[in-house]
Amino acid sequence: MANIRLSNISKRFGNTDVLNGIDLDINDREFVTLVGPSGCGKSTLLRILAGLESADTGTVSIDDTDVTRIRPADRNLSMVFQSYALYPHLSVAQNMLTPLKLRDLSFPQRLPLIGPLLAKTEYKTLYQQIKNTAQILKIENLLDRKPGQLSGGQRQRAALGRAMVRDPLAFLMDEPLSNLDAALRVHMRSELTQLHQRLRATFVYVTHDQSEALTMSDKMAVMMKGKILQYGPPDEVYHNPQTIDVARFIGSPAINIIPGSTDETGCVSLFGKSLETHVSYPHSTLHIGLRPEHLSLSENNGNSFPGIIRHIENLGSDLFYHLETEGMSQRIVVRSSQSEGKRLPLGSLTYFKAQKNKLLIFGESGNRLTVKSQKLAEVA
Amino acid sequence: MSQSRVHLWLMAPALLLMLLILIIPIFAALGLSFTNYSLGNSGANFVGLQNYEQIFTRTTYQKMFGATIRYVFVVVPITVGLGLGAALLIKSLTRFGDLYKTIYFLPVMAALIAMAIVWEFAFHPTIGIINSTLEQGCGTVLENWGWYANGCERTFPLWLTDRNYAIWTVAFIGIWQGFGFNMVLYLAGLTSIPKELYSAAEMDGAKSSWERFRLVTWPMLGPTTVFVVTISFIRSFQVFDMVEAFYPQGGGPSKSVYVMMFALYEKGIQQNLMGIGAAITVVFLVFVMLLTIVQRWLVDKRTHYV
Amino acid sequence: MSNFDTSQRIFRFSSSEAIKHVILIFGALIVLLPFYVMLSYSLKAPAEIMQNTGGFFGTQEPFRDDYCIKLGNAVADCMVTPWIYNYQTAFEKAPLLRYLLNGILVTFSIFFIQVVIALPCAYALAKLRFWGRETVFALVLFCLLIPVHAIALPLYIMLAKLGLTNSYAALVIPWTISVFGIFLMRQFFMTIPDDLIDAARMDGMSEYSIIWNVMLPSAIPALMAFAIFSVVAHWNDYFWPRIVITGNRDLFTPPLGLREFKGDADGDNFGPMMATAVVIVTPLLVAFALAQKRFIDGITLSGMK
Repeated sequence: MANIRLSNISKRFGNTDVLNGIDLDINDREFVTLVGPSGCGKSTLLRILAGLESADTGTVSIDDTDVTRIRPADRNLSMVFQSYALYPHLSVAQNMLTPLKLRDLSFPQRLPLIGPLLAKTEYKTLYQQIKNTAQILKIENLLDRKPGQLSGGQRQRAALGRAMVRDPLAFLMDEPLSNLDAALRVHMRSELTQLHQRLRATFVYVTHDQSEALTMSDKMAVMMKGKILQYGPPDEVYHNPQTIDVARFIGSPAINIIPGSTDETGCVSLFGKSLETHVSYPHSTLHIGLRPEHLSLSENNGNSFPGIIRHIENLGSDLFYHLETEGMSQRIVVRSSQSEGKRLPLGSLTYFKAQKNKLLIFGESGNRLTVKSQKLAEVA
Repeated sequence: MSQSRVHLWLMAPALLLMLLILIIPIFAALGLSFTNYSLGNSGANFVGLQNYEQIFTRTTYQKMFGATIRYVFVVVPITVGLGLGAALLIKSLTRFGDLYKTIYFLPVMAALIAMAIVWEFAFHPTIGIINSTLEQGCGTVLENWGWYANGCERTFPLWLTDRNYAIWTVAFIGIWQGFGFNMVLYLAGLTSIPKELYSAAEMDGAKSSWERFRLVTWPMLGPTTVFVVTISFIRSFQVFDMVEAFYPQGGGPSKSVYVMMFALYEKGIQQNLMGIGAAITVVFLVFVMLLTIVQRWLVDKRTHYV
Repeated sequence: MSNFDTSQRIFRFSSSEAIKHVILIFGALIVLLPFYVMLSYSLKAPAEIMQNTGGFFGTQEPFRDDYCIKLGNAVADCMVTPWIYNYQTAFEKAPLLRYLLNGILVTFSIFFIQVVIALPCAYALAKLRFWGRETVFALVLFCLLIPVHAIALPLYIMLAKLGLTNSYAALVIPWTISVFGIFLMRQFFMTIPDDLIDAARMDGMSEYSIIWNVMLPSAIPALMAFAIFSVVAHWNDYFWPRIVITGNRDLFTPPLGLREFKGDADGDNFGPMMATAVVIVTPLLVAFALAQKRFIDGITLSGMK
């Protein structure tokens, strides 16, 4: 098991910067997710870590050893691919045998037919290893099948099995769940988390799905346009996004971004109402981020804002009201739990309020601004 | 079922022609092969297995089988091997791959009869470019090679008119003409191999290109190979144009290039011995059918439903 | 470390790549050799061909055409520039133009009839449900195995009995049914959604007009590939024309014309003969150069069997 350090990784394809001076430290036994929209460079970063692609600049080290110039086969990492990349002509057992064979056996021992005769005991231990792994993944009964005879979920497990069977330093996973249907995907999330706890290994997981990142990882690195915007535990990233892009990308439904401004004292106001919150930037325009769960419907009083209900999204446990407010093309999304009384009809006028301590204030450039002082009462 | 009988009208012309042009002639050939029929004769006598007996006993036909088998078993492995080799090399290039692909494909497009005549010039013992080029190598290190020294001292081979070389020279031209076709099929096969499999092989510890070839390329090309081998067999069994152009009078020096299609043409068309020609046809068809059955069987066995 | 990387990027040279190029160039030289010889000889004077001099283009010095002198012309009138002489002789000594036209006529008739016959059948096999469909398709798959060249004798006898040898019909008839075409178009039609056909039926189209007005336009890519496959095969075919056309030069296809030329060739005629070969080979090679990808795809399509 291993810690991994990427420093100053850059990569260009032609004229586009795919990665731009990436630094990333991954501790031993951590489940780290690289998350970002497609084209942000997360898969390239993972492939550079694996050694399948070479970086233009920068170094990769595993357990404090520089492996930048070492080829993938010698890095002792294993990888689960988006398409699983199982060898279609080999059975599941043979697929799992391949990495063991190529590492643990000599060339004559690997020969077909003769090899197994030459190295009976070696093959026996390898098959035992395969059985043990198969047991953990509950695929013992599939070992003799070919990948073409398996369902998506089963292939997923077989691919995991091939990665696990040889005890690598770390597991790299490139969107491994994106080819599964929705229900199975949610199920596999919890299985992967359990597997991580059981193996106590380092996992590096690439996904474009922010909910996977939030649910599974110890730490997540949010990437955009070849840069890591923020790296930290999911809670931290969710509640304390450092830039407006991170705030927008993480969370579903997406965060509401409302234009605001400050007066000469730096006091923030929203829709023309003072929020009694100060930042050190007087006379400027701001973006104020408020997650739907930090907004709620309220009565019409001095501190609430009016909005017309244009759409209601019913998720069963929660209702999300999409409100049209004056001066904003973007609808504002407000969460309301089902139990919170009756449903309001479409097109009706209602009012909503915000939890002031949950305000995320971003400057015009999109960077987070720290709140200087705040009256800790609800805007109500 | 709701479409009434319109399907009959749609298929009738095709089915009728299939029957007339493909099915009936097979049975006709089978029937004629037991007779001594000649075109122009009013009737024919039933001669039993006599034609087949001739094919399998007379030296002429032994030469026919010998030449055909030599040609086929040289041309097939080499065109397949060169096709695969060229495809692998071209695929692994960072640039100019398309240029080589175009060049190697040219012989496939060119009329073989025309190119055969050109090759005949090139192989001409005295004025041909091959021997005149070889002569220029005389007096250099190449003379350490016994065969070469021999050529310099006396003469270089007569190639197409030398009975020791004729069939191999014809085979060389067959290879020249055919490997580009196999290369293109292999290139198509290579393109359809998912890239992630190579990444997976690399991660699994396949370090040398040979290991990656064994683990990914070769198995994934399985169906392509089966097809390429079959089509190469069928194509090379049908070699005719060159032989007829080089040796209009009967099959080359000591009949060493007397291939089946030429025998069929000579017996049936030139000598009007339709019975024996039909028997050769039947033997030929049996070869082709057997090959195809083997191919189908291999494909079914190896198809992995990815 | 980073310096190392950039240097590698700039000098794209690698020894393995270089070795591959050496091998491939060597192969390319052998592949191109006869094309070089053909083109070069078609430009040179007989003496240059015999003595192997003059480089690729020859010196193009006028030489004396003995045949012309035999006809009683003055020597000065019989001096000819080699390449002009070669190509002129190619077209004058034999009706090469006629051969080319025959080739075009035969090749395109074959293709046209193949499509007219194969398309409806392919459509029925792909899109109509009827009793016996599987059997018919099995028959198609079986016929796919039969090389038409192999059954040339019985076909020849049939045509001879009908008195059709030495006619355009003899050149075309055996190829009117392309089982491969049926198979190929059927596979392509399978990918066309049934809804499109049902929509056409709702609009009141007959099955025939569905085939020609709905299926045909959507099948153009497959049809192009088949066209290339068919035209290449029949333009270059030598075996079948050789069997059914005996003697009547007016019916010769280009390969037969060239063969005939070779039959009468004496030493002086290498140049014109090579010129004929160039003329016969060039149309397809030019078409190939113009639409390489289509050609390669078209030929590769036979790999779908």
